[in-house]
Amino acid sequence: MCGDATSWDENAYRESILKERELQTLTVFRTAWPPSSNPTPDSIVAASSDGSVASYSISSCVAKLPLGFSSARAQPLEPDVFVQGHDGPAYDVKFYGDVGDDNVLLLSCGDDGRIRGWKWKEFTQQGNDVKPVLDLMNPQHKGPWGALSPIPETNAIAVDKKEGSIFSAAGDSCAYCWDVETCKIKMVFKGHSEYLHCIVARNTTNQIITGSEDGTARLWDCRSGKCIQIIGSEKGKKMRGFSSCVSCIALDASESWLACGNGRSLSVWNLPASECVSRAQTPAPIQDVMFNDNQILAVGAEPVLRRFDMNGAVLSQIPCAPQSSFSVCLHPSGVTAVGGYGGFVDIISQFGSHYCTFRCRSA
Amino acid sequence: MEMFKEAILQPGPPENFALQTVQEFIKPQRQTKLAQDENQLLENMLRTLLQELVASAVQSGEEIMKYGQSIDDGENSQGQIPRLLDVVLYLCEREHVEGGMIFQLLEDLTEMSTMRNCKDVFGYIESKQDILGKQELFARGKLVMLRTCNQLLRRLSKANDVVFCGRILMFLAHFFPLSERSAVNIKGVFNTSNETKYEKDPPAGIAIDFNFYKTLWSLQECFCNPASLAIAPAKWQKFTSSLMVVLSTFEAQPLSEEEGDANNLEDEATAFNIKYLTSSKLMGLELKDPSFRRHVLVQCLILFDYLKAPGKNDKDGTSESMKEDIKSSEERVKNLLEITPPKGKDFLHKIEHILEREKNWVWWKRDGCPPFEKQPTVNKMIPDGSKKRRPRWRLGNKELSQLWKWADQNPNALTDPQRVRTPSITEYWKPLAEDMDPSAGIEEEYHHKNNRVYCWKGLRFAARQDLDLFSRFTDHGIEGVVPPELLPLDVRSKYQAKPNDRSKRAKKDDVKGASQQVEENQIATPASENDGEGGRADLEASVAAMDTDATTTGNLSQGGTPTPEDNQKLSPDTDGGQEAEAEAGQLEADTEVEAAVIDGETDAEVDL
Repeated sequence: MCGDATSWDENAYRESILKERELQTLTVFRTAWPPSSNPTPDSIVAASSDGSVASYSISSCVAKLPLGFSSARAQPLEPDVFVQGHDGPAYDVKFYGDVGDDNVLLLSCGDDGRIRGWKWKEFTQQGNDVKPVLDLMNPQHKGPWGALSPIPETNAIAVDKKEGSIFSAAGDSCAYCWDVETCKIKMVFKGHSEYLHCIVARNTTNQIITGSEDGTARLWDCRSGKCIQIIGSEKGKKMRGFSSCVSCIALDASESWLACGNGRSLSVWNLPASECVSRAQTPAPIQDVMFNDNQILAVGAEPVLRRFDMNGAVLSQIPCAPQSSFSVCLHPSGVTAVGGYGGFVDIISQFGSHYCTFRCRSA
Repeated sequence: MEMFKEAILQPGPPENFALQTVQEFIKPQRQTKLAQDENQLLENMLRTLLQELVASAVQSGEEIMKYGQSIDDGENSQGQIPRLLDVVLYLCEREHVEGGMIFQLLEDLTEMSTMRNCKDVFGYIESKQDILGKQELFARGKLVMLRTCNQLLRRLSKANDVVFCGRILMFLAHFFPLSERSAVNIKGVFNTSNETKYEKDPPAGIAIDFNFYKTLWSLQECFCNPASLAIAPAKWQKFTSSLMVVLSTFEAQPLSEEEGDANNLEDEATAFNIKYLTSSKLMGLELKDPSFRRHVLVQCLILFDYLKAPGKNDKDGTSESMKEDIKSSEERVKNLLEITPPKGKDFLHKIEHILEREKNWVWWKRDGCPPFEKQPTVNKMIPDGSKKRRPRWRLGNKELSQLWKWADQNPNALTDPQRVRTPSITEYWKPLAEDMDPSAGIEEEYHHKNNRVYCWKGLRFAARQDLDLFSRFTDHGIEGVVPPELLPLDVRSKYQAKPNDRSKRAKKDDVKGASQQVEENQIATPASENDGEGGRADLEASVAAMDTDATTTGNLSQGGTPTPEDNQKLSPDTDGGQEAEAEAGQLEADTEVEAAVIDGETDAEVDL
């Protein structure tokens, strides 16, 4: 066998090398737990930098897991369903609908400016051949002489099931409100001076909150499309030029507290009082936050999942697999998924132990 | 029989009639010492008599130790049974009869008595502890005594008769020497039957990290049987990886001070549990419980200590890589203990201290449990009187002894007008003042200020007598302290401080002076206190030395190691722990004295 080059397939070799490279640079931008009546997290959906939206089975990962945690041991996991959702990276996935709803939609958005939706039931049953039931494309801006701008990317989406709307944070510094039934834009929210990073829907008051590269977060009224409040604007101006963009925002369950990742600081705002309650500093920029009751989970450009209390004190720091994490996602049972660089998804149990860790497959 | 009873129970001190009575009834071959079968005969008679007495006491409804006490005899009268016991004890002590007899009677008596009467009987035993503990008697009766005490302990309720249990344990602790090895688990056998059961299959319906659950509880298997780790490298690998998972989970989620406090309060309020429950549903709560963490971490430390201890034969010693592992893990564990509230640092300190002691006991065991009593060194008679014996001074040397005796020899030393007093500073500084007078023309070389002892003494006097002068030392050096009135005018002005500056400083000095005085007072008192404490500390040390063995025997060796159960012993008052040890004692013919005794004490200690 040694030295026998007759069966040498250079292309295959080249491909394997490329694949390896790709896998190493694959980034999970968002993970989401599908709504399920099962109290144990059974599967997770990940949107990755190769434009794929894939669902992974947790139980099968746990079953073959060796005891103990080490990122080196994180095995590549074969997805249950793997859909090439977008050209270019997929930035966000969200579920539209609740537990027990047959028409739960899986929404994803990406660099190609599309928002795609699949019926979750079909997604799980039909596997890789599933066709999207929803396909929304960001509008292009018209310039002089009919010139069209490139299609702006969609960086984040939020949903309001009651109103039947999807909100998207787009790269043209606008947020859009889409009607799910008609697939039309209901409202455009203009006002940010830079592209948007994140968006959350405040359903109880029919408002949305957006975070932008311009260093501010804005609170919008969905009926009028007007900006009601600019959060952290002065601060944004002062700190301009130093990663002051609002990279992530999160609302708590009562929708009166807002956590805002602003560069290396995490600020907590009380929305009714529109006051900043606390501000915590982290060693690395924060890239995603999430409320867990009255605690805040935050991840950023370091391999640590931090838990803060409302006063900004660090409660725990759990080392996790991705060197830089872009997504933290909480299951109702308290299990947390952290996804990020290297295609790693680290599932952390409510005990703070590593439930399982796996690497996503690239396209 | 009746005659014997009459004779033996006659009033009066036993010396007067005991031996005579025995001679009368037994008719021994030798006058003062009974032969074996004669002993047997006497013992049988005494036992029957005792039985009779107890029976009639019970029938009469009196307390047995007081039965037969005549009212007119007043306070110092004895019941019939104690009188009988006294007689026998006397005979045993004088070695007229076989020494074990008294122990036999006492055992019979406790077995025949109700618990209430046993208290009286035990009171009797305690009162005769000195005689019973004599070398000859002790050697004959220690096993019987041990059996008696253990029987008593077994009959007592651990919950309700705490005081009596304590009395028995105290008695055992005093009765047996510290190095008594009957309770020692010589081979260091582990109680592998102390298994911690946990769920093997994930529960349905709730979401938990079952993997972690298993990882955490699987550690207990190793804690239960540390010896298995040393032999099988694969097992050690598994253990370390599991431990790392658990430690990093602990590290990632430090407990806040509040959580520590909250749980502490709860601890005090609720009853103490012997073993943590292993239900997977409790996992989340247990992880937030600082005392749970502590238990696991302390178990680790105990295990590491065991593994680090040099093996009995070098072959099964731990390998180098294993040592590295242990070292790094130990570091982590200690750090974790330190950050676990409440009072993590203190706790770690205590644990380290205990483990250190534990090591001493391990060594003691390895050395074959040598007795602690040091025989007094026999003064070797030096054959020829060439070497003169140096006189022994009570306080170390002649001078100190003389100082000590000084007051006795000179009762009026204090009132003596001629006695040496601290000189006043004006007197004292005179030589220096003369030196400072340029007209005296004293050469620099012979200046008094070069005499450091002189200056130092002077400063002390100044500090006591005139603080204002003393304070001038900072500005003008030693010469400033000399009272100005001693100096000629021209020299005086040189050392005079600016008036406003002075008043300010004077104030400050007052304060300073006050504090200084306080300090001096304080220095004075501790001296006496220290002595007292020193003595106490020694006492404690000796008691505690005994304690540690509880953990050696208790945990490492017999109790089946650091499962949570055993760890609990480190906290106050463990019924279960004692129980476990009591049982172990049963197995090993004779027993747990020490372990049990100690057990109680360690508890107290560790809880600090």
